Amino acid sequence: MLLQRIFAATLLLACAGLALMAWPYQAAFSYEPVGPRAYPLLMLGLMSLALIYMLFRPQPAQHKDDEPPLDRATLIKIGLCVALLLVFAGTFEPLGFILSSILIGIPMARLYGGRWLPSVVIITLMSVGLYLLFDKAMDVPLPLGLLDVLEN
Amino acid sequence: MDTLGYLGQGFGVALTPYNLVTALCGTLIGTVVGLLPGLGPINGVALLIPIAFALGLPPESALILLAAVYLGCEYGGRISSILLNIPGEASTVMTTLDGYPMARKGLAGVALSLSAWSSFIGALIATCGMVMFAPLLAKWAIAFGPAEYFVLMVFAIVCLGGMAGDKPLKTFVAALIGLFLSAVGIDANSGVYRFTGDNIHLTDGIQFVVLVLGLFSISEILLLLEKTHHGQEAVKASGRMMFNFKEAASVFVVNIRCGVLGFIMGVLPGAGATLASAVAYMTEKRIAGASGTFGEGDKRGLAAPETAIGAAACGALVPMLTLGVPGSGTTAVMIGALSLYNITPGPLLFQQQPDIVWGLIASLFIANVMLVILNIPMIRIFTRILAVPNWALVPVIAIITAIGVYAVHATTFDLFLMIGIGIFGYILRKLDFPLSPVLLGFILGGLMEQNLRRALSISNGALEILWSSPITFGVWVLTAIMLLVPVLRIWRKRAQQRRTVADV
Repeated sequence: MLLQRIFAATLLLACAGLALMAWPYQAAFSYEPVGPRAYPLLMLGLMSLALIYMLFRPQPAQHKDDEPPLDRATLIKIGLCVALLLVFAGTFEPLGFILSSILIGIPMARLYGGRWLPSVVIITLMSVGLYLLFDKAMDVPLPLGLLDVLEN
Repeated sequence: MDTLGYLGQGFGVALTPYNLVTALCGTLIGTVVGLLPGLGPINGVALLIPIAFALGLPPESALILLAAVYLGCEYGGRISSILLNIPGEASTVMTTLDGYPMARKGLAGVALSLSAWSSFIGALIATCGMVMFAPLLAKWAIAFGPAEYFVLMVFAIVCLGGMAGDKPLKTFVAALIGLFLSAVGIDANSGVYRFTGDNIHLTDGIQFVVLVLGLFSISEILLLLEKTHHGQEAVKASGRMMFNFKEAASVFVVNIRCGVLGFIMGVLPGAGATLASAVAYMTEKRIAGASGTFGEGDKRGLAAPETAIGAAACGALVPMLTLGVPGSGTTAVMIGALSLYNITPGPLLFQQQPDIVWGLIASLFIANVMLVILNIPMIRIFTRILAVPNWALVPVIAIITAIGVYAVHATTFDLFLMIGIGIFGYILRKLDFPLSPVLLGFILGGLMEQNLRRALSISNGALEILWSSPITFGVWVLTAIMLLVPVLRIWRKRAQQRRTVADV
């Protein structure tokens, strides 16, 4: 319940902020009666109404049976996973696809309970394999990064 | 009789060797994607959009690929619900009720092929319905102006809340988030940059694929971290793989009934496969009465939801193709795919590009036949895929998701945006918000704003245009009824509670 309220309040604040941001949106020169400001403001307004209702009458989340409650350990794991994904996005171009996916793939496999050796082998093979499949066979360009020297 | 001619033409398109191979690849990929935890039809189809585009497939082949993947995913979800008792998504919950007990009795192969068969009949009925009604609807829809479209989209959004049942308010908020997100980026009419924060990568708006993969794949990856039990033992699919004639005949009436029901539910925006399968199961259970062994492996209990899902999946294509208004998460993704090819679904599509429409309809037929046939030789391989552990699977899903996002614009900004959206999606999920309304709102948002502004331009700012024509007025009445449905339902539930309290 408390979480629902916090979420509703945060989203409400975000709505207010976005509405402030939208306020100056006006076409310098316009032929139409409705400018670029009306639609976002309408949506934000409706959302705010719903959120205010939720703030006072929060609806409890129904959890499925197989869903364990969040504890500290899981939260740390989720934080780590997000961090790994961010590192992946950050190193995707500088290191290249193959290296960056090996870099984050192995810790991620460990995070989901894999053992060291199989994780290293499978992730390395998969990274190279996916690169060949997508870049070479399917024409989806992927960055080579540091491995650029190997080509040519 | 025009329609039959067009349908023949559609089969001509779908039966070319190139498109047949495409459909086969699509069903195979789809089945595998649907089998894997963490990937469903929505992200399966979304992942393939940039890839189909990069491969340079012509639009009709790309659409056939996506439709085949969609049906394959549904089938893959069936495998995990029948063999593992884990529904891949909300719509297959009903399948587990009788499918899993059947598998436990040693009829796993029969259950799988029978479900594919039921779904095929459902799709067949729905396709017939589509062939009959879609051109009529398209002809009627040409009379729609911007005001009518705007009101229709309001109706679609409200339907989502009214049909979704237990949490209308959350559904509504989720849809509004999507509707708002569609406004990010440069405004096409006035050139004003909206909510971009001077970021050059956002000028084009949030990319559709980025939103879908963030919301569905990344949040699922995070969600899988919590699940402690994995590697559940699958029931071995051994013995007879194909159902026999007697079994098919025993569920035939059920198939017909649920097919019609599923089609009608599929056409209604917002209802979709989940509701259709639930209603079909409950209805059949009531009709069977004492003679049924529902819940213990009754074939009718398996056939009913599967037929309804198959029919609803095809029925959902009707509003998408004729009106350009998607009714479900997956059709929303398909609209996203079409817009990549610069095809705007709507009434004119039937006249201008009949190849695409009828080719798609015909390929749904063919993909369904393929799935029934594939079931026999491939099922052992598919069941082996179920045994892949999460630690090997999740990093690969993460990597493939990143490839899909990177393929759209080749910027790492999109990767960061996807992760941000993913975290947001995860929070929404934890708080019990449904995610597909966000997606639907995102697709409808752009159309809704354009139509609203166009309508008001026509009337020079007078709001009356939004309810003055008979069509708009009728749709507003329907919308009001839909808004009242959840209120009534809650009211009735409260009254019931009060009565039980009074009884005690």
